[in-house]
Amino acid sequence: MADVLSVGVNLEAFAQAISAIQALRSSVSRVFDCLKDGMRNKETLEGREKAFIAHFQDNLHSVNRDLNELERLSNLVGKPSENHPLHNSGLLSLDPVQDKTPLYSQLLQAYKWSNKLQYHAGLASGLLNQQSLKRSANQMGVSAKRRPKAQPTTLVLPPQYVDDVISRIDRMFPEMSIHLSRPNGTSAMLLVTLGKVLKVIVVMRSLFIDRTIVKGYNENVHTEDGKLDIWSKSNYQVFQKVTDHATTALLHYQLPQMPDVVVRSFMTWLRSYMKLFQAPCQRCGKFLQDGLPPTWRDFRTLEAFHDTCRQ
Amino acid sequence: MGVTCVSQMPVAEGKNVQQTVELLTRKLEMLGAEKQGTFCVDCETYHTAASTLGSQGQAGKLMYVMHNSEYPLSCFALFENGPCLVADTNFDVLMVKLKGFFQSAKASKIETRGTRYQYCDFLVKVGTVTMGPSARGISVEVEYGPCVVASDCWSLLLEFLQSFLGSHTPGAPTVFGNRHDAVYSPADTMVQYMELFNKIRKQQQVIEKRKPNQ
Repeated sequence: MADVLSVGVNLEAFAQAISAIQALRSSVSRVFDCLKDGMRNKETLEGREKAFIAHFQDNLHSVNRDLNELERLSNLVGKPSENHPLHNSGLLSLDPVQDKTPLYSQLLQAYKWSNKLQYHAGLASGLLNQQSLKRSANQMGVSAKRRPKAQPTTLVLPPQYVDDVISRIDRMFPEMSIHLSRPNGTSAMLLVTLGKVLKVIVVMRSLFIDRTIVKGYNENVHTEDGKLDIWSKSNYQVFQKVTDHATTALLHYQLPQMPDVVVRSFMTWLRSYMKLFQAPCQRCGKFLQDGLPPTWRDFRTLEAFHDTCRQ
Repeated sequence: MGVTCVSQMPVAEGKNVQQTVELLTRKLEMLGAEKQGTFCVDCETYHTAASTLGSQGQAGKLMYVMHNSEYPLSCFALFENGPCLVADTNFDVLMVKLKGFFQSAKASKIETRGTRYQYCDFLVKVGTVTMGPSARGISVEVEYGPCVVASDCWSLLLEFLQSFLGSHTPGAPTVFGNRHDAVYSPADTMVQYMELFNKIRKQQQVIEKRKPNQ
């Protein structure tokens, strides 16, 4: 696994540092041996003491020398590169039992595969968009110039860009407030508060929406230690249903080349839940069906339907 | 705390209080509600002692001290059109100490006891209102948990109430009108209960006044 870590590591200095550690160890054990042996037999007491002190000092000097050597070498060795794509999971490579738990190699393969898939999907979507079935001339046909992208860049967006997009969407809708935080690494977690109706926790991966959880306005969205609770479901059946619909929505609104449009459409769809308790179903005209209000919002028209009434 | 509506169910023709309660609970169970234990709401009346009124001769105000089993660690104290205080249960002990200022009105304790039902996100409580040993009426409380703004979900609540109360569905409670877009709080529920108890007390007084004439 040294080939992966070798990006910033000086292998020469690394080997020298290891031997410097061994030298340091031996000089320290010499110090303790000297102490253990005590004073050598000499004629006078002073002579014995002087010889012991001189020997002890020599040993301490050699320890000091070896320590300085080690420090110098460790500065040369350098750190493993910080923008390691696997970040903390790269430490899995330190697991010695490779045959029984080949986690690291499997992880690498999975990442390479998914990156390749993303790249191929991007190419395919570019090609397919050229052969559009629509009659109107779309500007997507001009993407031949933009097409040869080396890497799927939308996966590795700078956090500042994500912050900007989110704050722009926050200002778009007055009754919806979006609060962004990054408690777990670089993926953003949004807490969207819609009026006094509901709260939504959105977990993102760069600018793509990964998961959502919808909870009531009066429910607690933080855990006991004050962090955002992204796992526990709502206590109310209404909001459990809306969570399912929100998951369907984030799977429905997909556009890999323009993820900020996707986030905007998702937020527009979410905003239609402002009148969750006030709007009757457009199909049956009633408010309640099995005790639930109309929880489904059509993806195009944003009309309210009961879950069982939707076409 | 979701939006709550407290109303009175009139006793059915030719039946007594218990039978009407049974009718209601059977309708609820047919709807699909599950029984979830019991509840109790009680109310004691105090009036300001004469010694504190002074020479102005103003009428003494009535204060109600209420408890709700839904909030077992709290005690609610409210004036008729005035503020509602939410305190912990030591407030009862405090009232004993304030005997000089607030005196308990005699035979004033009124309470409602009954069963709780859960249907989807609705919590329905059907209780028998008793003053002393006798049952005086039926209280129905419906709470819709997910919503906290009263004006939002009144139509929804109304539809649900109609499904099992039928023609006895009440109108919108007065507390809903007062607070537009404010978050609903347990104090509003207690105000509704206080109004209900007062109504039942007045009905009782009317019945008792009629009796000597018959």
